[in-house]
Amino acid sequence: MNWPTDKHAFALAVVVYGAAAVASMRLWRRGFERDDRVGCGLVALGFGLHTLALLARGLSLQRCPVTNIYEVTSFLAWSLALVYLLAGWRRSTRGLGVLAAPILCLVGAAALTPGLDRPAGLAVETHRTLLSLHVTVTLLAYGLFGLAALAGAMFLVRERDLRLGRLRVLLARLPPLQRLENAMRRMMQAGFVLLTMGLVLGGLLPRPAGASLSRDPKVLWAVGLWLLYAALLAGRRCGLSTRRFAWGAAGLFGYTLLTFWATSLASPWHRP
Amino acid sequence: MSILLLGLSHRTAPVSVRERLAIQEARVPAVLQTLRVTGLAEEAVVLSTCNRVEIYAVSSLPAQRAFAELEEFLVRCHDYREPLTDTLYRLAEPDSVVHLFRVACGLDSMVLGETEILGQLKKAYGQALEGGFTGSRLNKVFQRAFNVAKHIRSTTGIQRGNVSVASVAVELAGTIFTRLEDCGVLVIGAGDTGEKVARALVSRGVSRLLVTNRSTERAEALAAALGGRPVRFEQWAREFDRLDIVISSVAAPDYVLDRARLESLLRNRPAAPLLLVDIAVPRNIDPAVNTLPDVYLYNVDDLQGLANRYLARRQEDVARCEAIIREQVGRLYPGRQVSAWAGWHPAASHA
Repeated sequence: MNWPTDKHAFALAVVVYGAAAVASMRLWRRGFERDDRVGCGLVALGFGLHTLALLARGLSLQRCPVTNIYEVTSFLAWSLALVYLLAGWRRSTRGLGVLAAPILCLVGAAALTPGLDRPAGLAVETHRTLLSLHVTVTLLAYGLFGLAALAGAMFLVRERDLRLGRLRVLLARLPPLQRLENAMRRMMQAGFVLLTMGLVLGGLLPRPAGASLSRDPKVLWAVGLWLLYAALLAGRRCGLSTRRFAWGAAGLFGYTLLTFWATSLASPWHRP
Repeated sequence: MSILLLGLSHRTAPVSVRERLAIQEARVPAVLQTLRVTGLAEEAVVLSTCNRVEIYAVSSLPAQRAFAELEEFLVRCHDYREPLTDTLYRLAEPDSVVHLFRVACGLDSMVLGETEILGQLKKAYGQALEGGFTGSRLNKVFQRAFNVAKHIRSTTGIQRGNVSVASVAVELAGTIFTRLEDCGVLVIGAGDTGEKVARALVSRGVSRLLVTNRSTERAEALAAALGGRPVRFEQWAREFDRLDIVISSVAAPDYVLDRARLESLLRNRPAAPLLLVDIAVPRNIDPAVNTLPDVYLYNVDDLQGLANRYLARRQEDVARCEAIIREQVGRLYPGRQVSAWAGWHPAASHA
C-alpha cells in the first residue's frame, strides 16, 4: 500500500474540516461576537489538502476524479468549500463558515465510508471529457445551492433574533439581512445556471443501448430539482417574501443532500 | 511624596454643586500654577468635566494637611461657602491611582463604560504636561492609566454596544441593511428623539432623508438642520416606494400607519426590508404590521430594552475590569496587597 495516498490527504482534510466545525461551534456558543478567522483559516487549510487529494487522484487516473460515489461526494464537498472560501474571503460573509464547516465535515466523512471508492466502468473511459464536464458543472451547482442554503439558514436565525429583540443580533459579527438575501439569491441563480448546463451536458452523453432518459431516477430527480429551483427563483422575482425564499433555499438543499446518494444508487447510469 | 486625589463627581454631588465647583478649561493652567507656587503640589493634573472635578496632586505635605489645603484652595477658587463634608472624596496612594484607572476605563462614569471620559482625561493630562506641571510620578500613572483603558477596551465588553435609544436604532438598521448610505429614510414628526435617531443615521452616511410634520415650518426647519428634504404631511405616502427606514415620533391619537395602509403601500414597493422605528407615545404604528413579511417594527420600549441589555452586559464585565485594574496597580506597587482596593468607589468610601 502506497503511503501517503490521495485518500490520506482527503482524510486529513476532513479532520481539518472537523476542527473548523468545532471552532465554528464554539463561536456560535459565544454568540458570534468575534470574527470567524480561525474557522475560515481551518477551512482554507482543509481546502488546500482537499485540492491536493483531488489533484493527486486526477493526475494518477488522467481524468477528472468524479466517476464513483467516493469521488463525487468528495468533489461535492470541495465545491462547497470553494464557494464558501470565495464568499468567506469577504469579512462580511465570513460568518457563513459557521454553518459550512460542519456540512463539509459530514459530507467528507460520508465520502470516506468503506466500499464507495470502486473503479470506474467502461463508459467513463470512453467519454471522459464530456462526462467530466457534466459532473463537475453539476456538482459545482450543488455547492452553490449549498452555500445559498447556508445563507438562508443564517437569514432565518438572524431574522428570528431581530423579531424577538435579542441582544445577540446586535453583538454578533454576522452579515446584515440584506447581504444574506443578496448572497442567497445570487448563489442560487449561479447554481441554477450551472445545473442547467450540467443537465444539458448530461443529455449530450451517449446513452447505453435500451436506456431512456425519462426513466432514469437520477435524471428525473435532477430535472425535478431544476424545476423546484426555477419555481423558487421565479417566486422570489414575483414577490415571494425573503423568509419563505430562505426556507425554500434551506429546504431544497436539505432535500438534495438527503436524496442525492439514494438516487445515484438507484440509477444504472450514475451508479458506480 | 504621595499621589493625592481630591474630587467630587456625579456619585457624590448634585449638578448644582458640580457646576459651582467646575474649573473652566481656560482657567486650568492658572490653577495648576497656583498649586505649584503655593507649594501645595509639586505635580498636578486638574480634570474638570460635567460629571466630575478632580485634582490629582503630588505633594510633599502630610496627606491630611494636603487634603485640607487642597479643599480650602478649591473652595476659595469658587468662593463656595456651603459645607462639603460628604461631597468631596480624598484619596491617597494607592487608592488615588485605582480611582484614576477606574475613571480612565469609564467604570466611574454615569453611563458605565462610556469612552468620552478617556478623551477628557487625556486632554487634562496633556494640558498639565504641556505647562510642565507633571513629573515622573504623574506621568507614570497617567500613561499607565491610558494603557489600562486601552487594554480593557480590547479585552472586555465594558465599552461595547450603545446604551441610547438613538444609537440602538441605528445599530438595528445596520443589522438589516448592507449599506446605510443607500437607504431612504423618512422622519415623521419633529420630536426630539426622532431627530436624534435621524441625526445618528445621517452621521452613519444616510443622505436620502425626508422629513414630514403636520407643521410644515417645523418640517422645513428640521430638514434644513439634517440636510434632508421636507415633504408635506399629506404627501409622505407618495414617497413610500423609495423608503427603507421610517422613524415616527408624531403626536397623534390614532395610528399614522396601520396594517391595512401599510399592506397597500407595500404593494407598490419592491420586496426589500423595511425598518419602522416608532418612538412616539402613544404609538404611531400599529404593532400588527410586525407580522408582515420583511417588515421590522421597533417601538421605544423595544429599543430601550435592548439598550438596557447592553448596559446589563457591561455590568457583567465590571468584575473583570476591576481584576485587570487590581493587577495593573499591583505592578505599580510590587509587594503591596491590592485585593483590598477592589470595588472601591467614592460614594462608599471617604478618607
